[in-house]
Amino acid sequence: MKTISNGFYRFLQYFSAFIVVTVLGGCNLDTRMSTFVTKGPIAEEQLNLFMLTVWVTFAIFIIVGGVFVYAVIKFRERPNDDRPMPSQGHGNPLVEIGLIGASILLLAVIAVPTLQAIWFTQETPDDVESRMGAWYSGEELAEEEAENPLIIKVIGYQWWWAFEYPQLGITTANEMVIPAGKVVHLELRSVDVIHSFWLPRIAGKVDLIPGRTNAMWIQAGDNFAKWKEKQGIVGPDQDSPELREGYASYLQEEIHNYYYGQCAEFCGDSHARMLFRATVVGDREFEAWVADEKIGHGTPDGRSWDEWYTAYEENPEQLTGDLNEGLKLFMGRAKCATCHTVKGNPRAVGVAGPNLTNVGARLSIAAGWLNHRAEDGGIDTEQQYENFFNWLKETDVIKPGNLMWEANGGGIGELIDEHGEPALLTDEEINKLSLYLQSLK
Amino acid sequence: MSQTQIETPSPTTTQAQPAHVLKPERSRLGLMRPDHSKSVFIDWLTTVDHKKIGIMYGAIALFFLFIGGLEALIIRTQLIIPENDLITAQRYNQLFTMHGTTMIFLAVMPLNSAFFNYLIPLQIGARDVAFPRINSLSLWTFVAGALVINFGWLLQALEMMGLFAASGPTAGMTDMVPAGGWFGYAPLTSKDYTGVGTDFWVMGLQILGVASLSSSMNFIVTILNMRAPGMKMMRMPVFTWMSLVVAFLIIFAFPAITIALGQLMFDRVFDTNFFNVAGGGQPILWQHLFWIFGHPEVYILVLPAMGIISEVLPAFSKKPLFGYSIVVFSGAVIGFLGFAVWSHHMFTTGLGKVATAAFSLLTMAIAVPTGVKIFNWVGTLWGGRVRFTAPMIFSLGFVWMFMMGGFSGIMHAAAPADAQQQDSYFVIAHFHYVIMGGIFLALVSGIYYWVPKVFGKMWKGTLSNWVAVLIVVGLNVTFFPMHFLGLLGMPRRTHTYLEGFGWASYNMVCTIGSYILALGILLLLVDLIRCLRSGEPAGDDPWDARTLEWATTSPPQVYNFAQTPVIPARDALWVHKHGPENKKITYEADHGHGIHMPSNSWMPLIASVGFVPLGLGMTLMQAGVPYMGYVAIFGLIMITIGLILWAIEGPGGYHLHPEQENT
Repeated sequence: MKTISNGFYRFLQYFSAFIVVTVLGGCNLDTRMSTFVTKGPIAEEQLNLFMLTVWVTFAIFIIVGGVFVYAVIKFRERPNDDRPMPSQGHGNPLVEIGLIGASILLLAVIAVPTLQAIWFTQETPDDVESRMGAWYSGEELAEEEAENPLIIKVIGYQWWWAFEYPQLGITTANEMVIPAGKVVHLELRSVDVIHSFWLPRIAGKVDLIPGRTNAMWIQAGDNFAKWKEKQGIVGPDQDSPELREGYASYLQEEIHNYYYGQCAEFCGDSHARMLFRATVVGDREFEAWVADEKIGHGTPDGRSWDEWYTAYEENPEQLTGDLNEGLKLFMGRAKCATCHTVKGNPRAVGVAGPNLTNVGARLSIAAGWLNHRAEDGGIDTEQQYENFFNWLKETDVIKPGNLMWEANGGGIGELIDEHGEPALLTDEEINKLSLYLQSLK
Repeated sequence: MSQTQIETPSPTTTQAQPAHVLKPERSRLGLMRPDHSKSVFIDWLTTVDHKKIGIMYGAIALFFLFIGGLEALIIRTQLIIPENDLITAQRYNQLFTMHGTTMIFLAVMPLNSAFFNYLIPLQIGARDVAFPRINSLSLWTFVAGALVINFGWLLQALEMMGLFAASGPTAGMTDMVPAGGWFGYAPLTSKDYTGVGTDFWVMGLQILGVASLSSSMNFIVTILNMRAPGMKMMRMPVFTWMSLVVAFLIIFAFPAITIALGQLMFDRVFDTNFFNVAGGGQPILWQHLFWIFGHPEVYILVLPAMGIISEVLPAFSKKPLFGYSIVVFSGAVIGFLGFAVWSHHMFTTGLGKVATAAFSLLTMAIAVPTGVKIFNWVGTLWGGRVRFTAPMIFSLGFVWMFMMGGFSGIMHAAAPADAQQQDSYFVIAHFHYVIMGGIFLALVSGIYYWVPKVFGKMWKGTLSNWVAVLIVVGLNVTFFPMHFLGLLGMPRRTHTYLEGFGWASYNMVCTIGSYILALGILLLLVDLIRCLRSGEPAGDDPWDARTLEWATTSPPQVYNFAQTPVIPARDALWVHKHGPENKKITYEADHGHGIHMPSNSWMPLIASVGFVPLGLGMTLMQAGVPYMGYVAIFGLIMITIGLILWAIEGPGGYHLHPEQENT
């Protein structure tokens, strides 16, 4: 056959130029869910192992690929080739055995660190400084928990996450909060289909499988000992206020952050919109957050909940103002309280949907799909309002198939008026609900 | 064969048009056999000729390759920019489910089957496969299964045209297209979460299993029993060897998915609790059963490709395959080890440390026999005379791309690293390098290599160079950035993604690559059509090839070889052409009774067609459509009657007396 034409070569040149520009131009490895820029010992171990496999296979690639290319070029047929017929040998056992031996050796180079990493990542370490008793000074910690690390139950739903802190008696949704530098033990399960917990910068995946509980440990940032080791400070007994300060500022500057995670196992219609977040904070901030979650919310106008409900039952009209109107909708026509809990509110104790305690303080809603995190890490309140509004207005578009829209007669897409006619929330009602939800912080 | 009709046609016409000279006879049922029919249509529907069946397998597989490719293009177009709303989440899920199912079961497996059917009897010097009518059953049952799986698309299309609505008696027919992934993980495929589409998927796969199992039995018997004299096992072409290993793999692997699908069907239809957690079931059981099938399935797909490569590389290097016996042996080892690595698809399911370690090490071990093959292919080139013909270019591309797919496979084998890669785009990159860069390139290489034999026509011009460049460039542009996408945290099977995660530019590049790839495949079809319409006559042995199929005419006569060849050596034709005088292929003398050819038959077709009402009836009955139980029973009766009449009609057959052209 004819050799490749000139026009062809030019086409190839232009094309490779385009590829190089496009790919390298977009080549930023420090992205929100990058596995390259790790912020915890598990992800780091996984990355190190991965890079080892990359280098080993790259070496094989260069050698085998090089020999391959060399052979193809060197032994190509030339025009008017009058060399004698190639030898018709059937192989060489010594070469074969040598190559098999070399392959096995190279695999062993990967296999040993693999085994070490399996044990390291799958066995929750008993890190003394991570025990609850060693750092948690908030209230109401049962004595037997002092020896345990922080435990979080991660529960997967179609398509959102519940995070329960059984030792602390609180539950939140879609945005977990964990202390920096501490081992956290996760218990993972699902109530419907299989999901998978993936927080790439901190740890690889573990699946949430209905009917069984999986476990994993995560840790955002190194612990004190590991940090010292990386600083080149040897000796296990090295400790001083200065070192502690250095460690604290390492956590503060490099680890305290807002991390992005996502469900990694296909779980139905809105799998792509089942995201979550992890906020990594210092010990004291964590305690403050826990305390805040425990208290929950009062009524919009400052009365006690008993008084508010008495007024609500006597004559709702006397409860005025946007927030009161929003709360009335929350408890009444919009049926929110059927499925959602708001800590403090004695009648909002539903458990079928995400816990809404402090939902107004979260930086995203709709399981991470609608975001309102400002540049400075705070809340962009205009965006937040818009997100709440859109979420309530077109839940079915933002998260197709979700229960909030259609829940066998209980969803906001199924609301009816007194005549039994469909009557979705009006924009005015959605406005008030959004304002109320925004106030939950 | 007392009932066979023996006519002696005049020698001048026999060779050209033997079919028109003979007259059909009656079967034991008293019906006319569809032999020597004047209607080409009836002839192809009832044929038991392995070559015609192979061509039909190939044509249908290419059709589904086109469909699966179209699905992939819609998927890629949806992902070209963040938060695209070209298609809904549900449609996207249907598309990737059907893309995977179609490509694996309806495109690559049948394309492999096309090569098995066409080549194995020719390569071993046989007249046909051992059970020609079972071969016909396999083909048509495969078509029936493909119809059942894709029936949802048909309904969906009718619905969009306003000709069908899921209401009244069909109200239960929600989610008409399968959308549970090609892996169908429980409990997402239980009836709490998915509708009638999953039933189409379950029934369709079961029917395809019948086709695969019956054809595997057929090939095992053919290869073991029907080899020409002198064609010892260790003289067989490597493609035939790999086909034999694959046939065994199918027989051992398909029962696992058959059981799993059966259990799923029972869960859905009869409310059993195999995978239902509320009833004490275990969803993880599905994963084990599925991957005990699913991983060998990978080797079911790839071993024939390796066989093709092992034919093409020697032919265009003018050298025997380096380390023939070790290539054959490593193929068998891959087959065995393939059953011991299934849980590497489940590293994130909480297997425990010891099981994770065991499957991790076994998965690394399987890299050794795979590496051996690559070494031996390179060894074949070494010191040879490499000719850059179209088949050779694709085969060289295979070695390169497959090697890259293998490397990312080693990365997965390191279980802790896999915890980051699992269910991310990294995995998509990996297996598309193996399947597109590997298997697909090998199959294209096989098409370029054997089409001159199959149709007796030679390829025209150098369009194949463009095909090769577009496909290789296209698949690298599409799939290489996916490694990075995965490592930057993009999960699989997501119909869209947010901006700000650093995924947008990679996705754009991937999508552009997929268009280039599609263009290459389109050009391949153009080249094929050009070749078939106006290719020059190819001659018996256009490539100066090595194996027995090139010793007969192009295209081969219905009886393959006028006289049975006696095989003196491995690479028989090459040795015949270039070897010593005492190693020529000789032919067994014809003792005057001619060649006994099997009769065509309607019965396999009738039995196979019965699977359509059976599958659809079962599915729609489950969705509450009235009278569908009767349709299913009708299908069952049809299958039964087809099989009974098949048994009663008798094997039939007729005799041909070709000129003794091969001596």
